[in-house]
Amino acid sequence: MTILYLILPLALVFAAAAVVAFAWTVRSGQLDDVDTPPRRILFEDETATPRVSRDRGPAAPRA
Amino acid sequence: MTAAIPRIERTERIAEASCLHCSLPVPAGRSSAFCCAGCEVVYGAIAANGLEQFYALREAGTPARTTDHAYAELDDPAFHQLHVSVGPDGQAHTSLYLEDLRCGACVWLVESAPRCVAGIAAVRVDLGRSRADVTWDPAVTSLAAIARYLDRVGHPPHPYRGLEREALRRREDRALLIKLGVAGAAAGNIMLLAIALYAGMFGGMSFADTGFFRWASMCVAVPALGFAATPFFRTALGALRARRLHLDLPLSIGILAGLIWGSANVIRGVGEIYFDSLAMLVFLLLVARWIVLRHQRRASTAAELLLSLTPSRAHRIDGGQEIDGRREEIDVPIEAIVPGDVVRVLAGEVVPVDGEVIAGRSAFDLALLTGESQPIDVAPGAHAHAGTLNLAAAIEIRATAVGETTRVGKLVASIEALSVKAPIERLVDRVAGRFVAVVSSAAVLTLLGWSMRSLATGAEHAMALLIVTCPCALALATPLAVTVALGRAARRGILIKGADALERLATPGTLFVDKTGTLTAGKLAVVTWRGDLDAAGLASAVEAGSSHPIARALRAYAEPAAVATGVREELGRGISAIVGGHEVLVGAPPWVRHRSRSQPAMEGWIAELAERGETPIVVACDGVMIAVAGLADPVRPDAADALEQLAQLGWTVELLSGDDVRVVQRVGAALGVPRPRCHGAMSPEDKVAAVVQARARGAVVMVGDGVNDAAAMAAASAGIAVSGAAEIAIEAADVYLRSPSIRDVADTAAGARATLATIRRNLKFSLAYNLIAGALAVSGAIHPLIAAIVMPLSSLTVLASSLRSKAFRS
Repeated sequence: MTILYLILPLALVFAAAAVVAFAWTVRSGQLDDVDTPPRRILFEDETATPRVSRDRGPAAPRA
Repeated sequence: MTAAIPRIERTERIAEASCLHCSLPVPAGRSSAFCCAGCEVVYGAIAANGLEQFYALREAGTPARTTDHAYAELDDPAFHQLHVSVGPDGQAHTSLYLEDLRCGACVWLVESAPRCVAGIAAVRVDLGRSRADVTWDPAVTSLAAIARYLDRVGHPPHPYRGLEREALRRREDRALLIKLGVAGAAAGNIMLLAIALYAGMFGGMSFADTGFFRWASMCVAVPALGFAATPFFRTALGALRARRLHLDLPLSIGILAGLIWGSANVIRGVGEIYFDSLAMLVFLLLVARWIVLRHQRRASTAAELLLSLTPSRAHRIDGGQEIDGRREEIDVPIEAIVPGDVVRVLAGEVVPVDGEVIAGRSAFDLALLTGESQPIDVAPGAHAHAGTLNLAAAIEIRATAVGETTRVGKLVASIEALSVKAPIERLVDRVAGRFVAVVSSAAVLTLLGWSMRSLATGAEHAMALLIVTCPCALALATPLAVTVALGRAARRGILIKGADALERLATPGTLFVDKTGTLTAGKLAVVTWRGDLDAAGLASAVEAGSSHPIARALRAYAEPAAVATGVREELGRGISAIVGGHEVLVGAPPWVRHRSRSQPAMEGWIAELAERGETPIVVACDGVMIAVAGLADPVRPDAADALEQLAQLGWTVELLSGDDVRVVQRVGAALGVPRPRCHGAMSPEDKVAAVVQARARGAVVMVGDGVNDAAAMAAASAGIAVSGAAEIAIEAADVYLRSPSIRDVADTAAGARATLATIRRNLKFSLAYNLIAGALAVSGAIHPLIAAIVMPLSSLTVLASSLRSKAFRS
């Protein structure tokens, strides 16, 4: 059972690494918005050529 | 882009007669594939930019809403200084609140903006917050052009306020989430070590191996829990300093006692360790806290977002240049107006400043400010107050006060002073106080009792008692019940800002209702007609061209009999015209009386209507009065039922309104509220006084929507703002209702009561568990394995009980 003395600390190091990785994802803001990204992955890649529309300027002055 | 609508290919959808854009039925007689002009414009804008994928992605029909606004105020330097940041690469950045963001398709449509408008670098949408972060090149395009594009595709943008508050919250949320992760990882790993220890206990394990596992448990538990449980320690310390009892105090004692005692036992090499139970406990508590926080944030951000919808711009008239007899106006943000500036307020807009009317005649709706529901007429020289609604025609106002110095601004300042509510002693904290007393005396007794055998045994059992009675389920009892209630309420359009509000609403007391907007439809309508019925058609014809509220009510009552000619309107008095060869007068009794012959019956009717609190409007034809119309704000159809329900829950309902006493009594009579409980002509200050007086008798809830109610809401034990409420009313309220109906007020009160019942049931469950575990510990029969099994079990019981709650169930 002496192998335990090596494996157990190793397992704990892995666990610590996972916790650090989690903290990094939180700090970098990846978990701030959990509603939008799952929808965003459903969008098709952009294939259409960009069609730039020209802004007509402000609407006609109101009466 | 061109406004031409692309040819529609999917003709089968026309056969179904549902709108191509919003899928609502196309009204009969419209020879178009769209239900309205708005949808047609939006569809045109989307298709012309090659974004038809929107229609494949969307999940539900989205009604189109597009305005013709020029958004020139977004390009004003004053606005840029406040809301726009420019990066080192010259790219400008701002956040906008977009209306009607509902599903993935909306996200896609908005995020495709860089493909359609040159100069936009990126748009990122946050669906939960209805927010879009826009980055653009100011040299190529302007924010106004971007705003016009977003408006055209059906998402009118507004400046996003409250960014600083959100940044603060985000920091808090992230810190809690990291603690949650650490506690979860620690709980999982310690549990694995504990399984090995328990298995070893029965299967035989060498002393050295047991010691190693115990040391490993300690090395994980002490730093991880010491870090993750800091929120509990901090509140416990704060409560101690304030000499108040808080549930986090017994929790902290349990966690600390467990950590210290466990570590001591590891170092000594004998005795029990409780790290597994403790880690699980801290993890569960943090999960509960995180869920509650998320729900609270949802409710409060939803209310705050509405604030972004209030007008933030004014039309300033800059001296000199006259074009076609009208001086030119420019749109500026409200912050850019200084006293002395002249602003133009169009019909249907809210007056942005305090000042004097210098040109134009119109009618003002003061309901938001004073609660008076009848419009008043204004002419040059009259005073105008910020927050009043201009009803009839464009006017010009010279500003005398802006921002915080306006009457509204001063009212707001008083609200901030009033709304510091004394924290209520929460039910769970009361229980926690007794709990600490019982557990600590039991621990002392255990120590003394077992010390007769040996001091070590006494200490062992006393510590075991402190640890196993650590009130985990007790701490979960309230948050779980509240979370379930808040979540269900939000789905029904009732946004509750926190657990405190629920507890404040649960005990019945006095419920003050502002009549305007909550009990009545909030719009003038003809409720009585006396005399010749055909006169209604004549009156409708005369009023066909007027935008006065009385004209709208008469038009809604009857179809015009014919086309009126020679219309002459005297603002505030009446209107005359020729209809079908007859001279018809419509107006207030004195004005009509002066120009035509009265009849005794007419005078009787006029007096009768005035007595009932209705506004009499007389119709005269060819110099003879022929009919009297009674105009009033009709009572909402569901109001009487809702008041009945509130009375059954034990609430005393009183009306508190800025309207004339007779008007309030009319509404009260229609709803069965006795006369002494109908208070009319109340100024905002009177309302506060009434609320303060009633608070001496018990709980007070104030329901309202105007600025005039906000101070009273802040002074009451709980405030409820209804849909369409003024910005400050939303801020002062604890509950915001998405619909203006009083029915939701009754539902909120009933739901709050049911939630409290669930909390009580949860507390009973968890105390029963603590009683059993405590009895075992006192008798010295507890084992860490029993603690490890029973602790989560008690939490699960509380969870199940919360989910079964009847609160806000539809």
